[in-house]
Amino acid sequence: MQRARSFVFGSKLAPYVFVAPFLIIFIAFRVVPTIYAGLISLDKFQGTDDLGFVGLQNYQKVFSNPALGKAFNNTLFYTLGTLLILIPIPLLLAVLLDSGRVVKETVFRVALFLPALTSLVVVSVIFRIVLSKDGLLNVGLAEAGLPSNAWLESASLAVPSMIIVAAWRWTGVNIIYFSSGLVNVPRDLYEAAAIDGASAWRTFRSITLPMIQPTVLFVLVLSIIGGFQLFVEPYLLWPFGNSPGNGGLSVALLIYRTAFNNFNFGQASAIGVLLALLILIVSIIQFRLFGGRRFER
Amino acid sequence: MTTTADEVRDQTIGRPSLALASGARPRGITGTKAGLAVIFIILSLLFVIPIYWMALSSLRPQSSIFGANINLLPTGLTFDNYTRLFRDTPFAKWFVNSVTQSLGYATLTVAVCAMAGFALAKYRFRGRSLIFWSILGSQMLPFQLLIVPLFIEIVRLGLVESYLAAIVPLAAHPIGLFFMRQYMLNFSDDLLAAARVDGASEYRLFWSVVLPNIRPALATLFILFALDYWNNLLWPLIVFRQVDHMPMAVGLANMISQYKVSYDLLLAGATLATLPIIALFLLFRKTFMAGTAVTGTGVQ
Repeated sequence: MQRARSFVFGSKLAPYVFVAPFLIIFIAFRVVPTIYAGLISLDKFQGTDDLGFVGLQNYQKVFSNPALGKAFNNTLFYTLGTLLILIPIPLLLAVLLDSGRVVKETVFRVALFLPALTSLVVVSVIFRIVLSKDGLLNVGLAEAGLPSNAWLESASLAVPSMIIVAAWRWTGVNIIYFSSGLVNVPRDLYEAAAIDGASAWRTFRSITLPMIQPTVLFVLVLSIIGGFQLFVEPYLLWPFGNSPGNGGLSVALLIYRTAFNNFNFGQASAIGVLLALLILIVSIIQFRLFGGRRFER
Repeated sequence: MTTTADEVRDQTIGRPSLALASGARPRGITGTKAGLAVIFIILSLLFVIPIYWMALSSLRPQSSIFGANINLLPTGLTFDNYTRLFRDTPFAKWFVNSVTQSLGYATLTVAVCAMAGFALAKYRFRGRSLIFWSILGSQMLPFQLLIVPLFIEIVRLGLVESYLAAIVPLAAHPIGLFFMRQYMLNFSDDLLAAARVDGASEYRLFWSVVLPNIRPALATLFILFALDYWNNLLWPLIVFRQVDHMPMAVGLANMISQYKVSYDLLLAGATLATLPIIALFLLFRKTFMAGTAVTGTGVQ
C-alpha cells in the first residue's frame, strides 16, 4: 500500500501525469490528423465518406489545376515581399528607438504596435475599404499629389496590396522582437567602438547586426511560417475571396476552398501535403543556419 | 524608407559617439532629434489613422466611408450603425461567444502548457526528449494540412458546432509549452527540494509551490492566448456554421461575405471587436509587450 502510494504521488509517475493532458490533446489533434492527412490525400472522398485508396490520383488532379501554380507563386511572392519589408525596416526602427535619440519613444512604440491588436478579420474589413478605388489610401495619395491605384482591382497589385497590409499589421510586433534582442548587446561594445571612432553604420554592421543575428533569424523563421499560412487576407479582402485573375489566391485559401466549397477532401489534403513539404524543405535549410542545438538548453 | 535610412546615416556618420549608444550622446544633435521626431510622428500617424478612421466611420452613414466624403475630423457622428448592428445581426451573441470561447481556450491552454512545461523542465523521465522534439517538430507543420482531418475527426466524434471542438484541438500549443518550460527552468530547485522534505507530494508541490510563484508567466500567457483565440478565424470558421454559435471573427467574416455588404454595420462590428483589446492593452501595456517579446524569444 505504502509503495503504491509513493508510486502515484512520488516523482516517478508524476511527470507523466503532468504531461498527459498536453500529450493526449497533442496526439489526438496533431499527430493523428497529420498522419491522417497523408492517408486522405491518397483516398477518394465523397463528403466525409472515405471511398478508398486511389493512389496519386488526387495529386495528378491537383497538378493539372492551373490555380495551384498561381497559389504557390502568390504565396512565395507574398512571403518574400513581407521578408524584404518586415525585417530591415522594423530593425532600423528598433535601433533608432533604442538609441535614446527619439523623444517620447514609448509613445511611438505604442502607436506602431496598435495595429497588432486588431484581428486579421478587422484588418481585412478596414483595408477592403481603405484600398478600394475611392478609399482612404487613394484619397490620401491624391491629396499628396501622388498617383492613385486600383489596388484591389488588378491582378498584379493583389499581392502588393496584401504586403502593404502586412507591413501595417506586423511592423510594431517585429520592432518588439528586435528591441528585446538589442537589450542583450553589451553597452561597452558600443563604447569601445565610439572610442575607436567607428561610424554609426560601421557600428551597426560590426556590432549590432552580429549580436542580434539570432533574433533576425528567429523573425525570419516566424515570417516565413506566417507567410506560407496566409489565409484571412485573401479570403476577406476580395468578395468571396475572388481576387482578379486569382492574383491574390494563396495556398491556404486554395486548400480551404477545395475542402469546404468544393468538398473535395482528397485534393485539399494533397495540396496540404505539398505545402507541408515546401515548409519542411525551407525549415531544413533554416535549421542548417540556425543549428537545432539552440532549442535545447 | 531608404531615404530615411540615408538621412539618418548622413547625420550620424563620422560622429565619434553614436546614435546606437544611449549612454554617451554627443552635443548639438538637436537637428537629428527633430528629424527623427518628424519621421516617427509621420510613421505613427500612418499606423494609427486606419484604426482611428475605422472608429470614426463606424459613427457615420455609409455614404461618408468612400470618396470625397471622407473626413478625418470628428463631425456628424451618430450611433445609428450600432443600433442597427444590434438590431439586425446577432452581434451581441457573437460578442459573448468570443468572450467565453477566448477565456475557455486560454484557461485550458495555459493549464496544459504549465503542467507539461513543468514536467519537461524539472523531471528526467523516459521519453522526455522524444516528446520535446516531436512537439518542436510539429511547429513546422502548417495548420492548413490539419483542417480536413481535424474536421473529419470532429464530425466522427459528433462535436461539430460545439464549444469543445472549437477550443480543445488548438490547446496543445507548442509555443505555450516552450514558453512555460523555459520559464520553469529558472525555477528554484531548492524551493522544490524544501517542499519535498516537508512531505509534499509532487502534485501538491506543483499546485502550492510552483503555481503561486509563476503567476506573472501564467498571466502573460493567458492574455496572449485569449487574444489569439479572439483574433482567430480559420478553425472557428470550420467548426461553426450556425449563426448563434459563432464568435465575432466568424460573424464579421460572414457579414463581409454577402452580395451586398453593409460596410457601415461592418465597421461598427469591427470597432467593437477592437476597442476592448485596445482598452486592455492600455491597462496592461507592459504585460502585452513583454509577453510578445518573451513568447517570441522564448522559442529561440
